Amino acid sequence: MARRKLAACSWQRVAGKYFKKVFLYVIRKGLPAARCQLHASHMIKLTNVSKIYPPNILGVRNVNLHIRPGEFVSIVGQSGMGKSTLAKLLFAEERPSSGKIEIGGWDISRIKDRDIPLLRRQIGVVFQDFKLLPRKTIAENIAFALQVSGERMKRIKEVVPQVLTIVNLGDKAKRYPFQLSGGEQQRVSIARSLIHRPKILVADEPTGNLDTKNTREIMELLKRINEFGTTVVLVTHNREVVNALKKRVVTVENGEIASDVEEGRYRL
Amino acid sequence: MISILRVIKFAFQNFWRNFWLSIITISMLILTLLTVNILLVLNVLSDQTTKFVENRVEVSVYFNKGVTDIQAANAADSLRDLNQVRDVEVITADEAIERFRDRHANQADVLKSLEEVGENPFGPTLVVRAKSVADFDLILQALDNPQFSKDIRERENFTDYKTLIDRVRTITSRVRLFGFSLAAIFLFITLLIVFNTVRMSIFIHREEIGVMKLVGASNWFIRAPFLLEIVLYGLIATVFVAAVTLPSVAVLDPYFSVYFDGPVGILSFFQADVWRIFALEFGILSLVSMTSTSLAMRQYLKV
Repeated sequence: MARRKLAACSWQRVAGKYFKKVFLYVIRKGLPAARCQLHASHMIKLTNVSKIYPPNILGVRNVNLHIRPGEFVSIVGQSGMGKSTLAKLLFAEERPSSGKIEIGGWDISRIKDRDIPLLRRQIGVVFQDFKLLPRKTIAENIAFALQVSGERMKRIKEVVPQVLTIVNLGDKAKRYPFQLSGGEQQRVSIARSLIHRPKILVADEPTGNLDTKNTREIMELLKRINEFGTTVVLVTHNREVVNALKKRVVTVENGEIASDVEEGRYRL
Repeated sequence: MISILRVIKFAFQNFWRNFWLSIITISMLILTLLTVNILLVLNVLSDQTTKFVENRVEVSVYFNKGVTDIQAANAADSLRDLNQVRDVEVITADEAIERFRDRHANQADVLKSLEEVGENPFGPTLVVRAKSVADFDLILQALDNPQFSKDIRERENFTDYKTLIDRVRTITSRVRLFGFSLAAIFLFITLLIVFNTVRMSIFIHREEIGVMKLVGASNWFIRAPFLLEIVLYGLIATVFVAAVTLPSVAVLDPYFSVYFDGPVGILSFFQADVWRIFALEFGILSLVSMTSTSLAMRQYLKV
């Protein structure tokens, strides 16, 4: 039932027939691969990871988490329990106080500053507050991400319409973020996160600012992205979203993993 | 190459977006550079002043009445043999009285007194000029030789000149010290302003910087526009200061030349090394500004 409802989303009807074609095009002929490629049987592997903020505030404690390539994992928990800390550790926004974090076989526990950009080009990140630049159109927002990564203009002109088509915003390329709904802005944010063909997509409360309809659209988009091979880590406290997904659920309580269920539900 | 062009583009964008902040920073850089250039002019002028005074220092040696012009000429020759002596002028007794009359032409009582004396009261005179003021002591010692000393009636006191020159040197060194201190203070203020400008610029661009970091822009790509922007400030300030300094010097140089009764050489000083002077100023200013920028970025730009 839920699946039918999701399939009925208007944007998907329009983009549906183009989706696979365009997405595969981007995957196959998209951007040049980054220097450090992620390869491993475990796409994400956290071993005894703890993060303590000074002076002595607990982020996460003794976290052991293995995520395989192509998985869709929801990390759930109440506010302040360490979900976002866990997400930040994955894309090196935070460094662990102890323990080991491997991303695609790359130990990023003590990653050097100069290597962080290489990691970020292989992990797409989506936030609750979209982080779009208000003075740029949505096409410019996506182009900006490519420009600052040193991509050539010819390639940028090719890729930007493609990713906008993936998120069904091809016809709104020249609009500014304030002219879009929250859901549309989040789709722009997701489109931007896809420009480097990431193997991992970390979405930290992507539906936190959205209504039910937009939440469904975003979740459908994330599922589609996952179906094409991208490992998705969704951090959320939205019960309906997690229950509808029927995917692996990791529950975080007081900085520790309280449960890890293969096809779980929101149980807090 | 593409990245370098984009860094340049972002640097110019930063410049225009913070236009007034850029203007304030450039103004401060201009003030600093102007002070340095005024210091350079003062340096040339003080050298010239010292040289001017030194060149005019001459010590007159008066011989007793009755000493022949030949004896005076012999004394002059022996002085000329000294390496330290630049020039010795011999004024014969007749020339001495003529010069005295000319000098006191308007003083009838003085001339009348001279008439009453009846005969030429003057002996020959030597006017000695040294290559360097410091050599006068040695030169005057040579005249203590008994061969000459018995014929010498009076020697001008050199101490007065020495005091004057010392005073000129003291004043010029103080002026230099003051100028140097002023330049150092302006440079320090420049450092603070550049630091603050970069801090504000980082604050204004925090959203873009955040996105850059998020999508994997390299650290140098994030930092480089700030450094380039500061170099751009330095370049604009240097060009402005050069455009003001060179014409000003060209206008002032003739006035100084008249005052010092000869070429001062300020214009030629700048003309001879125009590229080197302003390139050096630009280089040092950029280096100092970039250091300040790096400090600000280390503090506020966590990449």
